[in-house]
Amino acid sequence: MNLHTTGLIIRREYLNKVKKKSFLITTFVVPILMAALCVVPILLMATSKDKAKRIAVVDQSGIVMSFLDSTETIVYEDFGTFAADTLKKHMRDMGFDAVLSISPLDVKEKSVIADLTSIKPLGMTTAESINHRVDKALEAYRIDSYEIPGLEQIIKDVKGGVKFNTYTMDEEGKETISESGVISIMSMIFGLLIFLFITLFGGMVMTAVIEEKSSRVVEVLISSVKATELMFGKIIGVALVALTQFVLWIVLTAALVAGATAFLPKDMVGQLTGTAAASQMADPEALAQMAGVDASQIAGIDALSLVAASDSTAVAGEEMGEVAVVLQTLQNAPIAKFVILFLIFFILGYMLYASLYAAIGSAVESEGDSQQLQMPVTIPLMIAYFIALYTFNAPDSAIAFWGSMIPFTSPIVMLARLPFGVPDWQLAVSLVLLVATFCVCAWLSAKIYKVGILMFGKKSTFKDLWKWLKLK
Amino acid sequence: MILEIKDVCKSFGEKVALDHINLEIPEGQIFGLLGPNGAGKTTLIRIINRITIPSQGEVIFNGRPITQRDVEKIGYMPEERGLYRKMKVGDQAMYLAQLKGLSEAQAMAELKKWFKRFEIQNWWDKKIEELSKGMAQKVQFITTVVHKPKLLILDEPFSGFDPVNADLIRKEILRLKEEGATIILSTHNMESVEELCDSIALINQSKLVITGRVEDIRRKYGNNNVELVYTDEDGRHTEIVSVEKDTNTTLKEILDRGVTVNSYRELMPRMNDIFIKLVKGEE
Repeated sequence: MNLHTTGLIIRREYLNKVKKKSFLITTFVVPILMAALCVVPILLMATSKDKAKRIAVVDQSGIVMSFLDSTETIVYEDFGTFAADTLKKHMRDMGFDAVLSISPLDVKEKSVIADLTSIKPLGMTTAESINHRVDKALEAYRIDSYEIPGLEQIIKDVKGGVKFNTYTMDEEGKETISESGVISIMSMIFGLLIFLFITLFGGMVMTAVIEEKSSRVVEVLISSVKATELMFGKIIGVALVALTQFVLWIVLTAALVAGATAFLPKDMVGQLTGTAAASQMADPEALAQMAGVDASQIAGIDALSLVAASDSTAVAGEEMGEVAVVLQTLQNAPIAKFVILFLIFFILGYMLYASLYAAIGSAVESEGDSQQLQMPVTIPLMIAYFIALYTFNAPDSAIAFWGSMIPFTSPIVMLARLPFGVPDWQLAVSLVLLVATFCVCAWLSAKIYKVGILMFGKKSTFKDLWKWLKLK
Repeated sequence: MILEIKDVCKSFGEKVALDHINLEIPEGQIFGLLGPNGAGKTTLIRIINRITIPSQGEVIFNGRPITQRDVEKIGYMPEERGLYRKMKVGDQAMYLAQLKGLSEAQAMAELKKWFKRFEIQNWWDKKIEELSKGMAQKVQFITTVVHKPKLLILDEPFSGFDPVNADLIRKEILRLKEEGATIILSTHNMESVEELCDSIALINQSKLVITGRVEDIRRKYGNNNVELVYTDEDGRHTEIVSVEKDTNTTLKEILDRGVTVNSYRELMPRMNDIFIKLVKGEE
């Protein structure tokens, strides 16, 4: 292979793609979307906080009202035992968002019925927060009803220490805190991203090959360079485009998030830095303490916004603990290892599929004609994607294991398995198989490519491709 | 001999594209490569360019078997040609020139010269898709010759040009020949073969039918006819006379008639007729 000419081909391919408008657009739009995904939920919380919900309370039980402390987001107003129906009728005029009506205490069941009526839906967090307080009130009432002195303290003591943390243990016995929800989401994101990137950039190689063939520039080129140099120059050029795009995406997203944070209201920033502080605490016990048995409502609400941003399944009331665990899980994840493995598997998976895409591109003169020939390439990719989706539910299943070993599915499935922890030997075997398959496929593709790019005026079929393979 | 084709065969599966071709192309000539469509011309050209590897035989360039490095000394304009439509003319010409082994500075200097000669300096920053087909062909021609190839292979070079530009290209080809380049011209345009080529080879159905100097071939396939213009008492006449023995005898016979000879010209068959005769004769 002539390094000088291959270098020229790579450079042209790279510059040509990078200078394109579509490259610039995707490079800038994607980070904006990603940053928006991170920032918008927090911003929404920040703006919704300005308008605290006003709730009129009719407490016929007489035990709940004292537990309803107004916060920044929810303001309770006591209406004694005023007729709830009348209040509901005039709620809008009086400027209330909702009416909370507590039934008289059912002494036998030691319970009340709470009805929350609002004009517009209040949203999960508000409803859950109110529910939580009513529960608290009842809890306190029931504890009192036993008339055991100090019972409240006893229950607090009994309940307080329990914080359930899940850990994963590696071979050296080092424990790391982990939250399976976060890991599943990471798995899904990895699988989806690598699938998208391989399809996107592999397809880019095919388009570039078709462009050269349909514009008839190809024969001019291969009178100067070898067909294999042209093919690999193209594949490597597009790979560099992909890497450039990754780096720009990461840098721009980080910059945008940082920039957006700077514009947030002060308390929001405080909240974010607080989060950072929380994530710096490596000791899970300290985190559990911080999560607090008796999480104050304000802290609870604040943390909720973060939970909403990262994991919507978090349960109100234990928000701080959840956030801490999510952050801790993310922090404990070997991010550097993930990024490196992601790049290695992406590059190899891309090279494998790009060489196949190049062979297909060489056989057709327009993208429309490529549909049928693309099938054998798109099908394994789709299968790999479905296995990856299955993997995030069952990371240790046989199908996930074999999917992450077989080269045509391994880049995608292995990435989906990665957050759950994969033994090094499996990574090594998978990589060796992938490299070997790439070499074989690249060799076969080059054979098809060499013949294909010079075939004009006829729609090629699999039979033709097979014939070209056998040509010397 | 700048180029020798020695016993070259090429088959694609069952199909034989070239069948024991032997050719010698002398340096400094314009060499016509003729043949009907599908005869194997393009395959032969691709073998010379090392795009296709022959099944048998070899190509000798400057006395040695041709290597990939020698390809830099060849300029090739394929019949199926084109340029990147969305790339700027200048960038594209620079790219192709550098692929042919020119340094960036050399490429720039040579290209500037050619763009000036063709009076297309203001196209440098235009995209190919903004140019007409004829304009793009001019750029294509420049990219073929910019690296001063010793051997120039032009496959149907005049297609796509209007008569004015075709004439420009014709003149450039002759100028390059003057400067010492050897040119292989593959074309169906027999007029340009007569006008430009020193020697030809005719390939039909994968086989070499004839090769040699154009003059010799035309003479060989001539009927030994001459065109005679003479004047007698009735006035001026033109007559086709068949030379049966030799020219002197024929002239003597004519002069014996007592006429005044105005002109006596050997009649050569058209290349077109020879082409048709040879190709039809094969079938």
